[in-house]
Amino acid sequence: MEHDIIFEPLSFRNLVVKNRIFRSNISGRFDNYDGSGTYARINWEEKFARGGVGAILSSFVPVSIHGRIMPNYATIHSDDRVPFWRELGRRIHEYDCKFILQLSHSGHQQDIGGVENLFRMPLSSTNRTESLNGFLGRSMSREEIRQTVHDFVQGARRAREAGLDGIELHGANGYLITQFLSSAVNDRQDEYGGPVENRARFVLEIVREIRRVVGSDFHLQVKMNGIDLGNKVFPWEPQGNTIEDSIKIARLLEQAGVDALHISAGNSFPHPFNPPGTFPMDWAAKTYDIMVTSGIYVFQRYLLLRYRPLRPIFAFFWSRNPSPIIEGINVEAAHEIKRHVAIPVLCTGGFQTASFIRRILAEGFCDAVSIARSLVANNDLVHMFRAGKNLPDKPCTYCNKCLVNAIKNPLGCYEVSRFDGDYERMIGEVMSVFAPSPFSSSQQPS
Amino acid sequence: MHEDLTPVEKAGRRNTRRDISLTLFALYVIGLYFVRRYNPDYPVIYTDINEHFKYGSIGSESANGIPYEIWRVLPEMFPEKLPGPGGYASLGFVYEPDHETPIGLARRKVYIDRLGMNCAICHTGTVRTSPSAPRQIVLGMPANTFDLQAYFRFLADCASDGRFTVDNVLRQIQTHRHLDPLDRLIYRIAIYETREILLQRKQLVSFMDTRPDWGPGRVDTFDPYKTIQFNFPMANDHSVGTTDLPSIWNQTPRIGMHLHWDGNNDLLAERDKSAALGAGVTPPTIDLASIQRIENWLLDTLQPPPYPYPIDRNLAAKGAVLFRHYCAQCHAFGGERVGQVTDIDEIGTDRHRLDSYTYEFAANMNLLYAGYPWRFTHFRKTNGYANMPLDGVWLRAPYLHNGSVPTLRDLLEPQENRPKVFYRGYDVYDPVRVGFLSDVASEGRRHYFKYDTAQTGNGNGGHRYGTQLSDGEKNAIVEYLKTL
Repeated sequence: MEHDIIFEPLSFRNLVVKNRIFRSNISGRFDNYDGSGTYARINWEEKFARGGVGAILSSFVPVSIHGRIMPNYATIHSDDRVPFWRELGRRIHEYDCKFILQLSHSGHQQDIGGVENLFRMPLSSTNRTESLNGFLGRSMSREEIRQTVHDFVQGARRAREAGLDGIELHGANGYLITQFLSSAVNDRQDEYGGPVENRARFVLEIVREIRRVVGSDFHLQVKMNGIDLGNKVFPWEPQGNTIEDSIKIARLLEQAGVDALHISAGNSFPHPFNPPGTFPMDWAAKTYDIMVTSGIYVFQRYLLLRYRPLRPIFAFFWSRNPSPIIEGINVEAAHEIKRHVAIPVLCTGGFQTASFIRRILAEGFCDAVSIARSLVANNDLVHMFRAGKNLPDKPCTYCNKCLVNAIKNPLGCYEVSRFDGDYERMIGEVMSVFAPSPFSSSQQPS
Repeated sequence: MHEDLTPVEKAGRRNTRRDISLTLFALYVIGLYFVRRYNPDYPVIYTDINEHFKYGSIGSESANGIPYEIWRVLPEMFPEKLPGPGGYASLGFVYEPDHETPIGLARRKVYIDRLGMNCAICHTGTVRTSPSAPRQIVLGMPANTFDLQAYFRFLADCASDGRFTVDNVLRQIQTHRHLDPLDRLIYRIAIYETREILLQRKQLVSFMDTRPDWGPGRVDTFDPYKTIQFNFPMANDHSVGTTDLPSIWNQTPRIGMHLHWDGNNDLLAERDKSAALGAGVTPPTIDLASIQRIENWLLDTLQPPPYPYPIDRNLAAKGAVLFRHYCAQCHAFGGERVGQVTDIDEIGTDRHRLDSYTYEFAANMNLLYAGYPWRFTHFRKTNGYANMPLDGVWLRAPYLHNGSVPTLRDLLEPQENRPKVFYRGYDVYDPVRVGFLSDVASEGRRHYFKYDTAQTGNGNGGHRYGTQLSDGEKNAIVEYLKTL
């Protein structure tokens, strides 16, 4: 294929990416407990760079320990983390792959706070308890907002110092920035709550302050929801932001100097529509217990998963409005936003089929796609596309077993059918992220 | 930042406390609902003392009451077991307009509505001036029309009938009111238990079937006691203790008198509680406050109504002189022998009632309410009958302790001139002989009780006082008695 749009470079204002496939944000608990990075994470990210993606959007990288989602995720909350990220970037760059670090803050959506946060109330835009897991949170004061903006800015500064190619503000999927943006969550009465312009104030302050401190010549994109879908699980919960709200937010971000937008969905994580697919209750029953002390509803939810007769209750809420599509679930929303902004728009959501990706790129629905699970299943998916494959021989089944294992076990593909039913082989593949091991000198990363 | 509990744990504890509080509150509300719906002890309260006397509970429903819904359907299911048409009214119950239950049956919720007897069942009667005249209901008067034994027999006969099944009774109840599943379950149990209790009671008093029937206005107070309260073996006890129901007016001047026909107790309170036992209360379920309310009213207020017909005042004045001479010593308030027991040999009236009350029985009576401050202590065996004041005597016919003499005028005749057979239960008054008309066998489809003085315990002899006087003198005394 001579003019494959998938392999056309994508030029942002401050960055050029060699193709249109971005590894979307995904990670396991690969690092040290305190958030200092390890070779495992480098190994993890290298898998995808080697696999041919144009850029890697890092996993959730907390800008403060208070804003982590769980321990063993590399942070960027202090200067001593810069060398790790520099090394990671260096290794990724060896594959002509870009690395964009996702600056993140959990807000109240903190799956496992860790001992550092054990006695701290998570921060949020609201005092209300999150509905899915019963995560507690406290409405941030102006001083805490100011401090958190500062944390994001310092994270951006460190990312640039580490020689990374850009940053992404995680404003989707229910984390802190979403908690401000979403009308379903944000119940503030001050200038950070109310109309969409006020709800966007927090992220806009972060953007402007990053631009002021880090400069306008550093790639800065924002991941945001096309639609919040806040009532997909519990019908009594508010719906949250509509596409109209998101268009307004997108335009405000564009005006504030953001270089690109990355469109996802769902004002919580996980969400029936993100990542789209089935919910593996058998596996969740084996892993969700690790969160029992994290939220006031977790134990009740866990019982629904743990005991089979109760699972229909969980399934009723989780699957009562299943998405008719998985691959390209956010394309329409991304397209709507793209129609209203001039900056590139990335879209995530179940992409795995080359022809489909080509078509949505060619028809201008978005400028690039980001992929997580399909790349976890087939790290060399991009090479397959280049070789002319439309769909991998053993594609991702969207079973979401990777998702529910991520909180407890090393991330990888846990769909044993993709390994011909060979559990050992599957685990071997999952554990490959730890190879080479740190003290096997011949295998040390150079 | 070092604290014992994490925010999630604190919230968990708050939620636990909240959940416990909500649960307790919910249980409280549910409990209140069920207590209101199935209150274990909730009598119908009447503020008016007259209503309380007629329909208020004295505590007989818990142990010996019958569920109202069951009671209501029995005459529909077993009309042939009643002496005539009209349901319970055919037994001589006194009904007031707009009342579903007769006077003398009280309603109390003991989980479900139950009916039990109260004081008024034996102490409320009726009188008519003519067959077409309206019935006047007189509180405190002997229940002259009501056949208590027939009522008991009707209930027992119903319970004995093969058609008295849980399903049949439940079906009949549901023709009157909707029962939800919980109610149905409860009534299933109630129907079964009611049948068992009625059958047990029937067996306990079966010995009564060998004695002459009581008839309306009469009761054998103590013989059923012997089995129901004390499980006495009755094989060798052939006593007949049937007596007339007494009036209960003017209790204050009766304080200290020897009460009951044989004067076996001189405490009003024991007499009343003993009567309550007869109506069905038990030591744990007796409603003392209710009974006290009635006692206070009886002491302070309740008087017999005045004689409604013209009285020949001159004749009565003559009679008053004769009464003072011949009768007052025993029968006028303040008389030196009033309230005292006259030896059976002197009084000479039928001695069966006296003999039915034995030393052994008195001793056992004094065990009743054991463990309570009001345990009986004053019951005794006497050897005669007590001399009663004659207030409202015009309404207390028939006369003598066993109701064996229909009118006052008959009572002043020697035994051989007193009616040997007459009818009881008719409430039309006879102002000539002063008593109820006693020669009426039936009215419409209602048949009255034929009283035969030849039957055991029904003897009309004795009390020969005044029988030797002239007719004029006797008439004068009777005229005077109308004024009492």
